[in-house]
Amino acid sequence: MPRARALYASFKHQAWHFFADPQWLIPNIIAPFIVTMVVLLLFQDITGEVVLYAVLGGGMMGMWGNTLYASGWSIQSDRWWGTIDGVFAAPTHIIWVIGGRTLWNTLIGVLNGLLILVIAVAVFQVPLELNEPWLFLLAFVTTLLSLACLGLIFSAAFVLTRSAQVLTNGLEFPIYVGTGSMFPIALLPFWSHPLSLSLAPTWGIDAMRYAALTDYSWGLSTGYWGDMAIMALISLVYLGLAIWLFMIVDRVSRRDASLGRA
Amino acid sequence: MAVYVSNPIRVFWSSAVLAKNALFAWLNPAMWITQLFFISLFQMAFFVYLATFAQNPQVSVAFVAVGNALQSVAYVSIFAVCNITGEEKQQGTLQNILVSPANRFSIFVGRAMFQIVNGMATVVIAFLYAAVLFNVDFSQTDFLALAVTILVTTFAMTGFGLMLSSLGLYLRTSMIIANIFLFLGLLVCGVNFPISYLPPFLQPISYAIPMTYGTEAARMAVTGSTLSGIAGILTVEAVVGFIAVLVGYAMMVRFERIARVKGSMEKY
Repeated sequence: MPRARALYASFKHQAWHFFADPQWLIPNIIAPFIVTMVVLLLFQDITGEVVLYAVLGGGMMGMWGNTLYASGWSIQSDRWWGTIDGVFAAPTHIIWVIGGRTLWNTLIGVLNGLLILVIAVAVFQVPLELNEPWLFLLAFVTTLLSLACLGLIFSAAFVLTRSAQVLTNGLEFPIYVGTGSMFPIALLPFWSHPLSLSLAPTWGIDAMRYAALTDYSWGLSTGYWGDMAIMALISLVYLGLAIWLFMIVDRVSRRDASLGRA
Repeated sequence: MAVYVSNPIRVFWSSAVLAKNALFAWLNPAMWITQLFFISLFQMAFFVYLATFAQNPQVSVAFVAVGNALQSVAYVSIFAVCNITGEEKQQGTLQNILVSPANRFSIFVGRAMFQIVNGMATVVIAFLYAAVLFNVDFSQTDFLALAVTILVTTFAMTGFGLMLSSLGLYLRTSMIIANIFLFLGLLVCGVNFPISYLPPFLQPISYAIPMTYGTEAARMAVTGSTLSGIAGILTVEAVVGFIAVLVGYAMMVRFERIARVKGSMEKY
């Protein structure tokens, strides 16, 4: 019960932070939205399935942008505010504090992703006719959860470095490329395919395309439910890895007395 | 001391040296090198694969790779430079700088100087990626023209970043502005497609950003134009960059006054 209370308190705390300074949503939206615009202008005279790639990819990028910035900044902000030592010294393990923050960020990430979809559809008048709307929504939300699990791993790593901000900026495009957010991963070099397939969101975006498109020719052979199952499995591995990393990070940061280094 | 702070050249130089030393006191050199080598790679890869997928006949892989190679300077000249005032604010040093009698312009321009070296290194590495990983043909390239293009673009974009940085004196954070302009360049500066693709109302914005001239000059240099052939474009780019610095100075004076009046100097 105390863990659930800590989780809830952290969730609420993160929500208040967001409402106190909501401008931080802008960096999370701006990159995916502009990249989606670039892609739609690049696709000029192309219509149909390919254009939906761009719009769906934009939604996924919006979710990742939010997760990444939230992961990077949740620790960095504590450093700047001088509260990181208190967070670690609390009797509740750090994973529950980060977990609450991640849940809030997940909620905002869904809204962020949907907002990018809506803006792209409204501004560019792309007809977003979803083949299976409910399956699409399920894939959309679970993809975000998988991104949140991936973000947790980065959060743990960010505790150990003062350069979380630098890493945050550098990790945006690698995931866009690796997951094939806007193009099929078949275009990537063959050697990189195992790396792409080890990313849960790769399966998530594929599931979203299966649910959205009537004739999806570039899809992975696993199909919608196969994609969802593999994504869930990889996400659980991410979660386990993140918990393990946080335990190590907790020990190392206490031993090295490096937490307060802003 | 009084002689020292009233000499803008000395203030500029000490600010430049201090900024470089402070960067490496804070950032692990290994992390800096990692950033230098990786930041342009994935952005370029993303748009190159996208262009391959789109199969737009007007937008070749070389067009996109060269555009993104030059645009990678924005991570340094826009993002790092724009955050100069914001970071001073977060570290609690902005007020000390502003109450010192030293010339503000020299301080902030000096702060940005190391980023010019950083930016040029980033672009050179990005062009190497274009050649080695994405097979862009440099056999016709006039390397002198390309080198001057990189130099002028880095200076001009740093001037543009300084202009944006002045907003950080007044806003709670300059990070938001940095993010907007970092990615806006991908859209309006002819990095990934010709400017003629943009709606007419967006095209004037393109010509107010030095990068637009830089991408055009870089593509011409890569396809064999000599320095004299691109001199006109580079001159316009340098002028736009210089105007950005002047506007930035005027904005800095104005925003400093507003921040003093409203007491928002410590708000972040």
